[in-house]
Amino acid sequence: MLFWVIAAILTLGASLAVLLPLAGGPKGGSASSDHDLEVYRDQLSELDRDVARGLIQPAEAEEARAEIARRILRLDNAADKAAARPSMATRLVATAAVLAVPLVSWGLYSQLGSPDLPSQPLSERLAKNPADSSVDELVARAEAHLAANPSDGRGWDVLAPIYLRMQRFSDAVTAYRNAIRLDGDSAARQAGLGEAIASEAGGIVSSDAQAAFEAALKLDPSNPKASFYLAMSMAQEGRIEEATIGWQKMLAALPQDSPWRGAVEQALAESARRSVASGVPAKGPNAGDVDAAASMSPQDREAMINTMVAGLDEKLRQNPRDVEGWMQLIRSYVVLGKADQARDALNRGIAVFGPDSDEAKKFTAFAVSLGLTATE
Amino acid sequence: MVETGHFALVLAFALSLVQALVPLFGARINSQKMMAVGGPVAVTGFALTALSFAALATAYATSDFSVANVWDNSHSLQPLIYKITGTWGNHEGSMLLWVLILSFFGALVAAFGSNLPATLRANVLAVQGAIGATFLLFILATSNPFARLNPAPIEGRDLNPILQDLGLAIHPPLLYLGYVGFSICFSFSVAALIEGRIDASWARWVRPWTLVAWMFLTGGIAMGSYWAYYELGWGGFWFWDPVENASFMPWLAGTALLHSAIVMEKRSALKIWTLLLAILTFSLSLLGTFLVRSGVLTSVHAFATDPTRGVFILCILTLFIGGSLALFAFRASRLTAGGLFHPISREGALVLNNLFLTTATATVLIGTLYPLVVEAVSADKISVGAPFFNLTFGPLMVPLLVAVPFGPLLAWKRGDIFAVAQRLMAAFAAALLAVLVTALFIDGSSVFAALGVGLAFWLICGALTDIAVKSGLGSVAPGVMLSRFAGLPRSVFGTALAHLGLGLTTLGIVGTLCFGTEKILSMRAGETVQLSGHTLRFEGLYPAQGPNYSEDRGRFALLGADGSTTAVITSSKRSYPVRQMTTTESGIKTIGFSQLYLSLGDEATDGSVVVRLWWKPLVTLIWGGALVMMAGAAMSLMDRRLRVGAPSRRRRSAGAMPSASLP
Amino acid sequence: MTRKQRRLSVIAGGLAFLGAATGLTFYALGQKASYFYMPADLTTASLQPGQRIRLGGLVEKGTIERGQGTTVAFSVTDNQKQVKVTYTGILPDLFREEQGVITEGIFRPDGVFVADSVLAKHDENYMPKEVADGLKSRGVWQESKK
Repeated sequence: MLFWVIAAILTLGASLAVLLPLAGGPKGGSASSDHDLEVYRDQLSELDRDVARGLIQPAEAEEARAEIARRILRLDNAADKAAARPSMATRLVATAAVLAVPLVSWGLYSQLGSPDLPSQPLSERLAKNPADSSVDELVARAEAHLAANPSDGRGWDVLAPIYLRMQRFSDAVTAYRNAIRLDGDSAARQAGLGEAIASEAGGIVSSDAQAAFEAALKLDPSNPKASFYLAMSMAQEGRIEEATIGWQKMLAALPQDSPWRGAVEQALAESARRSVASGVPAKGPNAGDVDAAASMSPQDREAMINTMVAGLDEKLRQNPRDVEGWMQLIRSYVVLGKADQARDALNRGIAVFGPDSDEAKKFTAFAVSLGLTATE
Repeated sequence: MVETGHFALVLAFALSLVQALVPLFGARINSQKMMAVGGPVAVTGFALTALSFAALATAYATSDFSVANVWDNSHSLQPLIYKITGTWGNHEGSMLLWVLILSFFGALVAAFGSNLPATLRANVLAVQGAIGATFLLFILATSNPFARLNPAPIEGRDLNPILQDLGLAIHPPLLYLGYVGFSICFSFSVAALIEGRIDASWARWVRPWTLVAWMFLTGGIAMGSYWAYYELGWGGFWFWDPVENASFMPWLAGTALLHSAIVMEKRSALKIWTLLLAILTFSLSLLGTFLVRSGVLTSVHAFATDPTRGVFILCILTLFIGGSLALFAFRASRLTAGGLFHPISREGALVLNNLFLTTATATVLIGTLYPLVVEAVSADKISVGAPFFNLTFGPLMVPLLVAVPFGPLLAWKRGDIFAVAQRLMAAFAAALLAVLVTALFIDGSSVFAALGVGLAFWLICGALTDIAVKSGLGSVAPGVMLSRFAGLPRSVFGTALAHLGLGLTTLGIVGTLCFGTEKILSMRAGETVQLSGHTLRFEGLYPAQGPNYSEDRGRFALLGADGSTTAVITSSKRSYPVRQMTTTESGIKTIGFSQLYLSLGDEATDGSVVVRLWWKPLVTLIWGGALVMMAGAAMSLMDRRLRVGAPSRRRRSAGAMPSASLP
Repeated sequence: MTRKQRRLSVIAGGLAFLGAATGLTFYALGQKASYFYMPADLTTASLQPGQRIRLGGLVEKGTIERGQGTTVAFSVTDNQKQVKVTYTGILPDLFREEQGVITEGIFRPDGVFVADSVLAKHDENYMPKEVADGLKSRGVWQESKK
């Protein structure tokens, strides 16, 4: 409504700009010859100044003066044409001109304009409701655009997370794949792709999804989504111990206000519950294996655990720079009650990284927490 | 607000139609009332266009993505300054700016044109209105910046990162003030042709507009050149890119117009030629708009290529250029020729200037259009670049520059070239000295370099000689000289300043091209490099985060003689995620008038980074000279002569005739 | 000299100047204009040794080799033929695999194109016009209007 008032006022103002001069009283215009005379007079006075300043010789000045004088004499002093009487034709033109302004403007605007559409500054819209009901329409528009321009990587990139949120997972997978193909890798895209694949499979992190998350971590080692889901995949494979470590590491690295905190804490609580339920503390060579071992006979179980610990020990002799491996080995020996071997493993681990290294301190602290000392 | 702007634009179009037709008809039938319509309509039209532009700028500033144009060229994370400059960082918005400036000049004629004869004023405003009407129609029909999106997207698609720079705030408005300023000269010429007579004061009325337009165009081109220099990271200040040529051609023709208008004003000679030149200058401005906006040329300025726009602008071009030239052909014979002069005279020198400048314009025009013509008539695609222009434009400019110091010292009508040469002996000696010093002490390897430096000094000293001679140096007592100096007309200072600026620009170009050095190498953190006596150490790459980009900053330390860091230069690679674009920000350190310029390349797998360094001696003089030229134009604008020509105000003193009696 | 003679000599001088300028312009056009080719055009084009040309096409996937330091080699293709290009300097920011590019330079006798300038597109919507036209005519590339 306000718009129409403003439009009407503007139209009125514009029409008046045409109407007032046409309706006003007659004005005397100055004749062109008056202007010319003025210029010639000024040229003469300028000539005088130049002579006074010594810029030109008196003889030249005399010549120039004569030339200007000839121009003055040539001036057409004939009186200007008589002003035209307002005839029928002129009145018609004037009326047409005044009417043209509202007619042309309103006619054109009704074709071009969108008078009902208010301004929508972003801040206002965000203050109102960020998730306005129009998301579906937005997506529909974007889909139409992408159907016509399938090679618009940016469009796919924008649309993919929206699909994900709308739980259209297979569409999200396609969109992420397109975005990666057209616009290249990025951690966010790979992590999104992994999430889409996993969500499509009902939350199971398949090897496809894992590959995507690993690619994301390679691009951005601190990507929370990829870290979270990779830990989840371990938990799903029964490697609850590793999953817990993964989540704990995440929790330590995440900023206080990160939206991922809640999810990680929940996942940790869940994994702790599962570990307790399985009846085995969350330690040992491999939580999944221990789970499996729980159903074996005691001898078989010990044999299996010993084999695996020995395997780990062997692996560490070949690849000694594995902090996690050393800690796992130390803990395994402690759990198995082999304090000497545990101490040996601790000393070997310290030797690998050097007694003054951070790792060594970490190992010592870890061993102390298990009730073990290095030199005993 | 958005729709108010849209409506104001439509209303401005309606008014421009009235402005184009009613005063013209009024002048034809000599109806004072109808002629008087032009003024208020022009002012109102400007107010409406300004309102419309303000509405669009507001939509940009507030990220109103319900406007398609804003959605396509803005992003909520951009800094506010780039949100606002983004208003004209796209085709639709820049055309609106074009029309805004056009209507601004029209309003100025209406406001300050009360000293013009009524019919001339009416016709000028009518022509101005006609140009405005066609361009407003163009905007409304093919490039409406107010097209809406419903529902509105949540986020925009960002402004092209190359344009996210302060240069966008300055370069296009200045350039358009120049381009469009020449529309006034065009309108005055067409008005004179419509009337069939040229008033004696015509040149005095047109001259300030020419000066204003020329001043802004000089600034716009210089700013564009500096922007390209630091933003594109190639270290060049002029590429002979078709789009640069599009702005350079009106400048060359406008410079010729500036000079021929002097002859017309002083001697009533060269009237017809000046008229034609005014028409050609604005035609070249229109051609520039066409070349840039139609997408027939590939460049950073071709925001979007839409064939209908190209055809539309081509029609406008044909209408105005063809129409005005046809009018010229019919009416020119009715205009009287002016005074006679000897070839060796001030007039002769100015004709020489015009001959060279228009020929130079023609070569640039041919070089720019030739590829289009070749492509149209055969399947071949060719490009005409710097080698062509260096070969043709250079030889044309050198004799012109040599002749420049002579011009202002020659007398009107009949000059004495030997006397002038004698007065220029000092300047010549200074130039010769510069040549010898350059050849013997700085760089003897290139004769051209030494001669180039000499030419620059010749221009600079020639400009100073002009002032000295006109103040009476050596011929009068110092006290008299001082008072003469103070009493010199402003236009004399303006001329000298402009020519001085030309000399400075020449010096900058010669210095950069002939004595500049360049190195490309790959560097690792900690390595140092020597270039023309400067030692730089690469300190390494540091990541940083901007509002809507992330960047890797390469830090370089400029080392003093004792190895301590005297300055830090950073060049960075920015990555804008929304458009998936990277840009290079060059690192520049100004030392005196010279600059050390460096730009980062790609990072290799082994961690080293490709770095390109330039030492650019005297390079800032290129743009500094342009600023001095602008100052010259501003000085000329203040000359009292340009305020004369209003009979009403001076009628009372009409009895006081000059002291000398008429023969 | 009479006034008439003088005027004639001035006019003659002006015409001679214009003639010289025209001659120079067209000589320069013949000498200094560089032709644009796509790789497949080169078999039919007759190039003089050392003639400057502009070569356009797409940067072929997997062919960008960064040698020691500042020299880069890559292949330009129009999906029919490809040409190996070497360039010393800093590549434009938007130089990428499978994107349009225009290089300017001369052929070395061994058939490698030595470019002294490389132009890529200015933004992501924009393909060098010559390249776009050439690829369209070969049916390789469709315009993706935004």
